[in-house]
Amino acid sequence: MGEREGDSTRPDLGALLAAAVRGGETDPDARKRALAAFRDARDEGAHTAARTRRRDDWRPAGERRAWSLRATLVALAASVTLGGVAVAAIGSGAVGRDDGGERDRPRRPSSSSPADPGGPAGVGTPGASGLDRLSTAQDTESHCRAYDSGKKRGKGLDPTAWQLLVRAAGGEDEVDAYCAARSAEAKKKKNAKSAKATEKAEKAEAKESAKSSKASGSGVTKSPKAAKSAKSTKSEKNKKGGSG
Amino acid sequence: MRSSDGELGLAVARAQQGDEDAFAVAYRIVQPGLLGYLRGLVGAEAEDVASDAWLEIARDLGRFRGDGAGFRGWTATIARHRALDHLRRQKVRPRASALEQDVLDLPAARSTDDQALESLGTQYALELLATLPRDQAEAVLLRVVVGLDGPAAGRVLGKRPGAVRTAAHRGLKRLARRLDAEGVTEDGPRTLGESG
Repeated sequence: MGEREGDSTRPDLGALLAAAVRGGETDPDARKRALAAFRDARDEGAHTAARTRRRDDWRPAGERRAWSLRATLVALAASVTLGGVAVAAIGSGAVGRDDGGERDRPRRPSSSSPADPGGPAGVGTPGASGLDRLSTAQDTESHCRAYDSGKKRGKGLDPTAWQLLVRAAGGEDEVDAYCAARSAEAKKKKNAKSAKATEKAEKAEAKESAKSSKASGSGVTKSPKAAKSAKSTKSEKNKKGGSG
Repeated sequence: MRSSDGELGLAVARAQQGDEDAFAVAYRIVQPGLLGYLRGLVGAEAEDVASDAWLEIARDLGRFRGDGAGFRGWTATIARHRALDHLRRQKVRPRASALEQDVLDLPAARSTDDQALESLGTQYALELLATLPRDQAEAVLLRVVVGLDGPAAGRVLGKRPGAVRTAAHRGLKRLARRLDAEGVTEDGPRTLGESG
């Protein structure tokens, strides 16, 4: 156990000091008292009930840092996953449906590529009709939303969605007007829907108060569930970090 | 840091599960260094203070998190707190402790031809350490006697690792000079004139 600091002066001084100071007789009674104290604490359950304070945590600093980093990453991943669902819905709605349609035509490389709207010859599906088939009302609505928010942030829509939107609007110059009309329509629909829902709820409330509370609550059941699952993964990871 | 750290870590983990024999192993590994550290801090009262420290260690064992090296640091911190409590009580009824004693005159006549450093006695080593400034003495004790690395020793003392390393380095250098001046060297005795 050579002490580095001593090397320049006297290689063994540290070891000699250690040997000298650590030496001497050991008191067997002291050992017995320590063991008795251990037994008492154990039998009282003090070892399992005790909480680790900051001064009791002597895990290497790297390990402690890694632990908090892991927790941060888990939280970040959870928020990205939850938030990403909304973002992904904008772009992937069409693509997902697309893949479904392509399943029986596996040769085709990429139907969603705007540079190749027609696909290879011999497949028999004209590109235009393919795109039309893909752009359902819901899709264009979401593309419009993406287009609007992209405009605000100075970012363009992804090429596929843009292509679809242009086709639906009937030209690049028409997109603005098309989307404005769409969003107005969507708003109207939504208002009508919510008005209907309120009417329904009111009716239900008049009939059965228990049932109505269930109905109005059903709209929000998803988010606490998602939050709960995110929480449980986090705590699981934390436990892992704690034991490691 | 120490070869026994792996064994110590396992023993502590088993002791935390309630294994008394494992706790006895941890005691056997840790106690010499802890007692040496306390001898440097409180002198002859070291055994009593160590006993107090072990009561606390035994009671709080479940709170501890870390490996063998961490356990050395944790126990050293507990021992240090008990020692400082002890010194505070002593201030009420003063009594010289090893570090507070101003040992200017070390026992002389250690420079006989056959006396090698291996024979450095416990008392003499403590008296040597007592000639150091307190921060250097404690740094040397923690690094060399307890076997802590720089960061762990720094945490025990509430100082930066670099400051502790420097203090330990200076302390050891000073002790080496002192030993040389007294003519206790591995090369044999020297005269005072030569060592200057």
